[in-house]
Amino acid sequence: MGGSTVINQVRIGRQSAIRIFAQEYSDANLPLEGVGEYAPSFIITKLGAKVNRALFGGVIDRFERREGDNGPTYSGHLRDATGGVHRFQIAPFQPELHADAEELLARFESGDRFLMMMIGRARWFESDDGGIFTSFRAEEFTTVERDVYVNWLVETSAATLRRLDAYNSSLESENNNESLKSAGVPNDLIEGMILAKNHYSDFDPENYKVGVLQSLSMALSSNSEIEQMISSDVESIEPKVTENYPSENNDSKNESKPLADVDDVILNTIRNSSNTDGVPYDSIVLACVQAGFSRESSEDAIEDLRDIKCEIIEPRFGFFQILD
Amino acid sequence: MTDKEKYAVQIALVKEECKDVDEDEVAKEFERYENDFLIPPNDAVRSVILKFQKTSPKDIDSFTGTTTQVERKVDRFSELGSEDKNVTLEVAVVTYVPIVQMVRGEEKQIAFGWIEDNPWESTDKRERWDFKDWGGHSENLRPNSIVRLEGVSVNEWNDKRSININRGSRVTILREGGPAVPVLTDEPVSIEKASENEGYVNLIARIISLKPDLITKRDGSGTIDIFRGTLADSSGKISFLSWVPIENEVGDLVKIEGAMIRKFRETPEVNINDRTKIEKFHDSNFSSIEELSKVTTSRISDLRNGMKDVIVTVQVESWQSRTFTNSDGEEKIVRSGDVMDPTGRCRLTAWCEIDPKPGDFLHLNGARVQFWQGSPDLVVDESEQVQNLSEAPWDAINPENHWVEISLSDLVNGGSRRGIKTTGTIVAVKNDSGIIERCPECNRILRDGNCQDHGPQHGVEDLRLKFVVDDGINNASLILGKEPSEAFLSMTQEMVKEHISQRGKEDFIAHIRNIILARKVVIKGRSLVDNQGAMILAENVDLDTVKNENAANLVIEQWGVLL
Repeated sequence: MGGSTVINQVRIGRQSAIRIFAQEYSDANLPLEGVGEYAPSFIITKLGAKVNRALFGGVIDRFERREGDNGPTYSGHLRDATGGVHRFQIAPFQPELHADAEELLARFESGDRFLMMMIGRARWFESDDGGIFTSFRAEEFTTVERDVYVNWLVETSAATLRRLDAYNSSLESENNNESLKSAGVPNDLIEGMILAKNHYSDFDPENYKVGVLQSLSMALSSNSEIEQMISSDVESIEPKVTENYPSENNDSKNESKPLADVDDVILNTIRNSSNTDGVPYDSIVLACVQAGFSRESSEDAIEDLRDIKCEIIEPRFGFFQILD
Repeated sequence: MTDKEKYAVQIALVKEECKDVDEDEVAKEFERYENDFLIPPNDAVRSVILKFQKTSPKDIDSFTGTTTQVERKVDRFSELGSEDKNVTLEVAVVTYVPIVQMVRGEEKQIAFGWIEDNPWESTDKRERWDFKDWGGHSENLRPNSIVRLEGVSVNEWNDKRSININRGSRVTILREGGPAVPVLTDEPVSIEKASENEGYVNLIARIISLKPDLITKRDGSGTIDIFRGTLADSSGKISFLSWVPIENEVGDLVKIEGAMIRKFRETPEVNINDRTKIEKFHDSNFSSIEELSKVTTSRISDLRNGMKDVIVTVQVESWQSRTFTNSDGEEKIVRSGDVMDPTGRCRLTAWCEIDPKPGDFLHLNGARVQFWQGSPDLVVDESEQVQNLSEAPWDAINPENHWVEISLSDLVNGGSRRGIKTTGTIVAVKNDSGIIERCPECNRILRDGNCQDHGPQHGVEDLRLKFVVDDGINNASLILGKEPSEAFLSMTQEMVKEHISQRGKEDFIAHIRNIILARKVVIKGRSLVDNQGAMILAENVDLDTVKNENAANLVIEQWGVLL
């Protein structure tokens, strides 16, 4: 290294796109808010990833438009090989993405399901009782062929294994910069690792290996799993689509669903809240999840109560009240 | 260094005693004491204080003026007056350079650097001032942080204003920056460590090269004798510049105390002045010149703007000479060509008579590095610096296909390089991709038909694509000029224009996005790296063709995964 000595400077440049599976990202509940107008904010995952921007993909699993005062908001899910979903939004102030979003919506509503890759910025929502929900604000996206998606699976497996390795190296080390460095934790993971270890209680990192193994075997096999995943998702989603758009023949289908318990949780959550402006969507979902319901069924139930049973209203986007 | 900087410590002492003195006057007085009366500044402090105590209108002021006590809150430097004290404002810290100065036989740590106002806006909307930290705030004044300063004062010298951060000032971090600049230590440090920060250091190193040189004063009033050379230890090498004669010789092991590390362009350099102590050092275990040749010999990938005394071996790819008339009307010849080594390629410029043939191997000793079109390039001034090797140091490189493969992370964290090949995933397609118009005068891109320098112009159309390439840890902007864009799109510039005029710009961007977003690409070209980040000018971009199966197997192997 003949004199390759350069004075180190910290660059406040563009944040790199972290490759991350839905499982790791949705498990995260530690936001790190930047101070100041242009300071980036991050979600810190249990494995110490510091996510401001991410590159993620999956099969489109849910996609809808909600009209608000300032224009439409689109939100959707991409389900990846870990079985989890990446939640994303396209905001009213991103009109440059709305044309593409409409095109996707039309495809989605026609029953088509397809693989997508997306670059998004981390965002989160904090419910009244302190629950943190992570999601992304879409920055750019595209539909992709299987090869591109599988390539992402492989890359994200490598990135996850690298974080797992760093996490395991950190176990014997003290939780500070110098110790983690000498334990072999790569520089870009040290800060997140320190924050993660101070915040999260013990967990079994092996859980994160499941998605990795699944992804790698997909890359090695004929990819039939992915096709299966797409087709099975279409089936499971089909009824939901009609649910969301109830203007055409709705009654029989939805009343047969045994959602009474979830409904009670939702209604009680809204009733018991002191928030007169309405209860945020995510805190209702959190209450349901804590009561033992899956996120998906909770979300369905909220829409069901709003659109079909008409027991709750959404006077402001994302905030719910009881309809008296 | 201006007088005011030179005497900063002493001026501060005077100001402690005589609050409202004009610093220019005080500096002038110290200069007079030093030059006319031959009394060193530290010894002159008492005399200067006595002088100004008599003339200072301090007594009157302390009765009339309470205005200086009031806190003055401002947003911009431009709102400040030259007399303002107890100022509160928010600034971005750009640099922080600690120095130690002897004050009345006592070592005093102070620091200077740059701060910028309007810190939450982009840098082009900020103003930059110098500051001095008299209060030891190094923990809070970290480079790249944003801080609130309270109780600081304005200092004016030669119409130039700066900020004094005093012992009683408060510094509050609003946004974290980089690590704190380490407090100076008396212990000698390695050259590698010394190169990381500007400021005072002690070194133990071997003198690798040494020669006298001249610096022409800017005002044309003459020249200053200086010495230049190179120091090395097992961790690396560094150039030095001495304002005082060096009595040691090449090969000597020396201990240097109180040298100053300063950055020249992108390269740190040791400054030696009359306060620096150099003495011979004895350590029989210290590497000899021969053993140090590993760290003293560079490869093309190591070159940085501003390096001197470079030792490097290159293979010549092409060679031309050109005659031109310089500003003095003299006819001059400059020779230059493309050269390569196994780590990359660059240009070599010779201001002396050498005429190598393509394929020759040259060993350069004492070359310097200059920026040419954003890339570091080698310059030799005398033919003695060049040795044409008869024996090839490596198997001849084929220039047609010489792309040095490096990871995106190494590229982003290294210097600017030519002839590199790297891989990454496209994570952004910039909306200004497509047909652009350039100024016919200067080739700059027109904004709304206007050139920044040449006003409204009838632009020349050009094609370019702009992306961001990312490997999950680092990222760089990626720019494709006309030829690589046409090749990548399989479309001519005319076809692109046609597409845009028929279906709109957004449709064109969407089309590119469909081809390249989230795809892995292999890029050949050159990299430009500076404080703003890294940029790759591509000569060629291809979609990566590695099979997913092979990529997966690599991951399985690397991390020992059991499926």
